[in-house]
Amino acid sequence: MFSERELERYKRQIMSFGEEGQERLKKSHIFIAGAGGLGSPVSIYLAVAGVGTITIVDMDVVDQTNLNRQILHFDRDIGRKKTASAEEKLQELNPDITINAIDVKIDESNAGKIIGRADGIVDAMDNYPTRYLLNDVAIAKQIPLFHGGIRGFYGQATTIIPGTTPCLKCIFPKAPPSEVFPVVGVTPGIIGMVQATEVLKYLLGIGELLTGRLFIWDGMQAHAEEICVERNRACEACGGMAKKTRARKKK
Amino acid sequence: MRWYGKENTCEEEEVMVKIRFFARFRELLGTDIMTDVVAGTMFTPLITTIAKKNPEGYAAIFDENGAFHEFVILMKNGKRIEIADAAKTMVVDGDEIAVFPPVAGG
Ligand SMILES: [Zn+2]
Repeated sequence: MFSERELERYKRQIMSFGEEGQERLKKSHIFIAGAGGLGSPVSIYLAVAGVGTITIVDMDVVDQTNLNRQILHFDRDIGRKKTASAEEKLQELNPDITINAIDVKIDESNAGKIIGRADGIVDAMDNYPTRYLLNDVAIAKQIPLFHGGIRGFYGQATTIIPGTTPCLKCIFPKAPPSEVFPVVGVTPGIIGMVQATEVLKYLLGIGELLTGRLFIWDGMQAHAEEICVERNRACEACGGMAKKTRARKKK
Repeated sequence: MRWYGKENTCEEEEVMVKIRFFARFRELLGTDIMTDVVAGTMFTPLITTIAKKNPEGYAAIFDENGAFHEFVILMKNGKRIEIADAAKTMVVDGDEIAVFPPVAGG
């Protein structure tokens, strides 16, 4: 049940997907890996939309060079843990939801445990090794992985439903070399919004998900396009999984 | 010297293909490159020739041995081409070829 305050807060979106939809969001738990460029807009919009429980994980402290894009963190937060900064801002944005901020480096030993019983994983990471780890956990738990990646004015996103769609390793079997990548804040803004929209649609069970398609955004050309992607039967991560038909959150 | 007369026999048959680079590759090499190639040209030499127009672009896609970097994604008309098969995959008239890197930032 919702308080009067919540009903007012969500009034304009309840017009779109009803109180039942809002209830589904409230009962949901989304895990966001990273409180940086992508994690900032994704967590902000999922928080204000009323996703009931948000776990956000990061191991870094706020650096001045983060501030051109990581809009969860303010100038006054420099030197502070990103998780502390994120928790404070998200809770202020929406006091009616639960925020778990975990200050840890996601690795093989803890990933499954910290993701717990989340309904979905948002990939807001900045490196492929950790992304592959999230991909493995998504496959093991059979929960979706909402992938996003950015560089400069350029970004990509796709929604991975294990057993149904290609997984991250089917699409990108090998990691690119790590680098200090250029990035303009608007790009994670756009890609983060694609990811957050996907999360909401998945949780609500509405619309067409970005499945089997890699969304590609070229901000310089103001051009979006998509590339069809397919499962790799020999994929080392998901190759053994039987095909499933359900691409919706269980009611 | 080329002979453009009726009895032209020295011109080889050419096919037109379109090459699309993405992300970093696009910054370095441009995109939507329409090019005529000799019929029977394979995927790898075609991309090699185009990429060589910019040494930095070439180095982004190929290693020092002239092989594709293992992370490079190749597609032909929306279908994945494995790097291992690229040297023996022929391009045909009207092919649309996509070459892109995984984008890693967050
Ligand atoms: Zn796979």
